[in-house]
Amino acid sequence: MSAVERVMRFPVNALEYANILLTTDDAVVGATPKEVVWTHRETTLYRYRSSNRRYAVPLLLVFALINRPDIFDLRPGSSLVEYLLEEGFDVFLVDWGYPDEEDAEMGLDEFVCDELDWAVRETLRAAGAEELTLMGWCIGATLCAMYCGLDRDGGRVPVKNLVELTMPIDGRQSGYAKWVGDEDFDVERVAEKYGSLPGGAIDFANKMLKPVTNFWTTYRRLWDGVQEGNARREAYQPMAKWVADNPPFPGKAWAQWIELMYRDAGLLRGRVRLREKRVDLRRIDQSVLVITAGADHIAPRPGTMPFFDLISSEDVEHMARPGGHIGLVAGSAARNELWPEMAAWLAERSEPTN
Amino acid sequence: MADRSNGAQSPEEQVRALFEDAESSAAKAFEELVRKPSFGRLLALSAENTAALTRIAFDTVDLFWRNLRVAGRADIVRLSRQLHRNEDKLERVLQEVESLRDLVAREREHEEARS
Repeated sequence: MSAVERVMRFPVNALEYANILLTTDDAVVGATPKEVVWTHRETTLYRYRSSNRRYAVPLLLVFALINRPDIFDLRPGSSLVEYLLEEGFDVFLVDWGYPDEEDAEMGLDEFVCDELDWAVRETLRAAGAEELTLMGWCIGATLCAMYCGLDRDGGRVPVKNLVELTMPIDGRQSGYAKWVGDEDFDVERVAEKYGSLPGGAIDFANKMLKPVTNFWTTYRRLWDGVQEGNARREAYQPMAKWVADNPPFPGKAWAQWIELMYRDAGLLRGRVRLREKRVDLRRIDQSVLVITAGADHIAPRPGTMPFFDLISSEDVEHMARPGGHIGLVAGSAARNELWPEMAAWLAERSEPTN
Repeated sequence: MADRSNGAQSPEEQVRALFEDAESSAAKAFEELVRKPSFGRLLALSAENTAALTRIAFDTVDLFWRNLRVAGRADIVRLSRQLHRNEDKLERVLQEVESLRDLVAREREHEEARS
């Protein structure tokens, strides 16, 4: 396209660009039909409808405490949930909802010992199963690891398989640690003042790790796409909507997370206690699949690697792939590359239905 | 990125390549900047100050509403917390009831099997 043509098309392109940005909120995310199984406070457990169930072991998806779990089911044709249903899995999802100031006292103890524990219980009851597969992503993956490593007075968690996607275990080398790792930053005070940390502030901090890329390049690339006539509105809008949907982070959980991940790395030393019960990752003896992303700046791969030395599982697989923290699992290439490998790993470890 | 060793580049391509170079350099420079401890300190202070200002603003607005005998944010939060506590208790009671129901059902199955 010549420069003259570009100038002539500028008004139309500008209108289309503005339209894509302004109608982003209208994009449909999380469209796969689902039913509410259980609710407690802000937490909701969903079960996805399936007519193609081939495996008896249900699969429970757990996302982070920042952003929404809709990323598991971003849009038709690019939805991990949709893919897993097609493959015959019985899929459940725990949604932490939108915690607000009244949830400020929700800590990691409450999320692991109550919400996740009860979601597991309800999943097993609904599926009529004895054990399930836990699939966690980002903070959700760490919560799943803590859940499996929690001292249960000799009892065993009803988890058969553990799938951990881009999981942080030791965040002391990440960009966040440079900001919040300093003891001068009074985390407790900020948590106390806010109650629950505003989602917008968390999102801003995430974006500030790569400021030019997030605040400029994303929009510049969209503009280039509009000019070239190949802007993919159906791909851009659901992801942009998901990125902008930021629930508040309960203050107590946030302060605990900072301490656990960026200051103390207590999971490495078995020093974490939830409700006076010790979390020891050596208790993890399930079949474990860990997926790490080479260009992950939120949970860099070196921060996940110590996990392998801590657990006692004999059936462990590590899929080290290129890609980013979210793009690796939710990107357009995942459907043909990563998801089939994940499904094959799960199929071998999820008993077929009778 | 366009190949600048190719002499056949149009002026527009050259400008574009320069722009992309500048953008890439700026991205790297900013990423280095935000990783500096001084930036972390700046961010931490800003977060603390914003939190304090937010709290002061909320308290002021709450005071205004309370003087009008209308529930403010703090009152609604307190009420919501009470509701949450009740929900926690109810959830635990429900789980106990479900466990007992399962126990009774299992015992009944055993009895039926025996008879």
